[in-house]
Amino acid sequence: MNRITKHSQTIILALFALYALAPVYLVLLASMRSESDLFDGPLSLPWPIETANYVRVWTESGFSTFFWNSLKISAAVTILVLLTAPLAGYAFAKMQFRGREALFALFLAGLVVPAPSVIVALYGNLQAMGLIDTHLGVILPQAALLMPFAVFMMRTVMQEVPDELIEASTMDGATPLYGFLTVVVPLARPGLMSLTLIVFLFSWQEYLLPLVVLQTETLKTITVGAASLQGRYGVDYGGIAAAGLIAFAPLVVLFLAMQRSFVRGLSAGAVK
Amino acid sequence: MTSRPAILFLLPALLLYAAFVVVPILQVVAYSFFSWDNGIAQEFVGLANYTHLGSDSVFWAALSHNAIWVVLTLAFPLLAGLLLAAILADRSPRTIQVMSAIYFIPRTIPLVVAGIIWGWIYNPLFGLLNYGLDMMGLGSLAGAWLAEESTALVSLNVVGAWTFFGFCVVIYLGAIQSIDPSLYEAAEVDGAPWWRKFRDITVPLLNNSTLFLGLYAAIEAMRFFDLIWVTTQGGPGYATEVLTTHVYKTFFLVGDFGYAAVLSVVLLVIVLSLSAIAFRLLRAK
Repeated sequence: MNRITKHSQTIILALFALYALAPVYLVLLASMRSESDLFDGPLSLPWPIETANYVRVWTESGFSTFFWNSLKISAAVTILVLLTAPLAGYAFAKMQFRGREALFALFLAGLVVPAPSVIVALYGNLQAMGLIDTHLGVILPQAALLMPFAVFMMRTVMQEVPDELIEASTMDGATPLYGFLTVVVPLARPGLMSLTLIVFLFSWQEYLLPLVVLQTETLKTITVGAASLQGRYGVDYGGIAAAGLIAFAPLVVLFLAMQRSFVRGLSAGAVK
Repeated sequence: MTSRPAILFLLPALLLYAAFVVVPILQVVAYSFFSWDNGIAQEFVGLANYTHLGSDSVFWAALSHNAIWVVLTLAFPLLAGLLLAAILADRSPRTIQVMSAIYFIPRTIPLVVAGIIWGWIYNPLFGLLNYGLDMMGLGSLAGAWLAEESTALVSLNVVGAWTFFGFCVVIYLGAIQSIDPSLYEAAEVDGAPWWRKFRDITVPLLNNSTLFLGLYAAIEAMRFFDLIWVTTQGGPGYATEVLTTHVYKTFFLVGDFGYAAVLSVVLLVIVLSLSAIAFRLLRAK
């Protein structure tokens, strides 16, 4: 490859890195800038560095509560999916039963169902069940909406488990559940790790369900909190930037720490 | 294996999925055939609610915005992802890992937060975009990006692309790395320049990934809500209205249950048809 081609390609790579990172950098700067510096321009370096914005949103605007609510909901959704989807994925991958194809198709159809398309009925149902304005009212539908993806992914993961190992455990007289827990789960660990990360990510990012289900201020999640902060104090840019950073920093850190596992999970189901 | 444990293994996932997704879908379909008053079903009216679709100009505008969103997504993030993956594939494993991580970071950011950040970049008074244009002497191009009908949808698509192109890079990279290297070696012996290898080997062999990403993008373009809701809420006017925001407004703000159900059914029919096409095409390969 000649030098000109190579250099122009490097420039393209760098330009897109700038596109990816510049908005993040901008928020970081804004979150550490005091109000009076705002009109010095978006790229002026904040000096002195302010932590006041973080302190203010964390203590006064309720972001410590929003953060813990998001953590609680995302953790609960993740656990719920982890307790159910691997079993179902395993049944679809390794067990014979009537209606298998039809049931799997039912799950597959759900892969693309958007939350807004079911909210018209879901909202009334949650009301009837007394789940409006409760965390459970967000957790259950969210886990259900993520279920098709989780089951689909788990089926792919479980198909990789060698039949001989499963047969050996059956011949030892182990019950299917015992065999699943002692033989299959340890082998599927990387897949389970990916599932955990992806479900946690999607759940943390969710906006519509917490927006319509939760009404009490102290129950709201970080995405809803960040969005409402934008509306409420339209001018507190430092505060909004700090809030935005609190909302996405854990995800970015998690992703960078476990890139491989994340990417494997997100590309699950993609054709090679 | 007998079928009893299979049912038991399936049951927890199935119950949760049925209770909060399948049943609500069936209810939405049923709701669309009734007239409603104050959230209470009155009587069966057949397709009467559906006839409103024809005269609802917001619905058609929303649908066209969803379609434009698909085209823009195919034109920008998908192509960018293909090009970046092809370039990256020639570099060292370390570079590949670092760069694909950088490109992927925006996807980990909640769309709500992405909308807030970019809302700032587009801010007409002190946003980075107008500031940058000014610095380059292009101040005349500056505008109120999200507040003008002509630029709002495209500006938002740039935000959508920001969160999506890294995903395309990752999918394409995986596929490129499984292409037989001898194909490239043969082309090099023939002295083919980079762009010709890209056009004649990489692009045709990535057909499957392109199909997958294209269908994925089309389905996502029908489903997205957060980004619009947190930035423009469908405005200015109806310039960025999409099906999901139209459903939301019809249900929560107008309170028209029957018609909100109709719009939900239309949305469901579109995404389910797209995914049926996707599965047929991808399985045929």
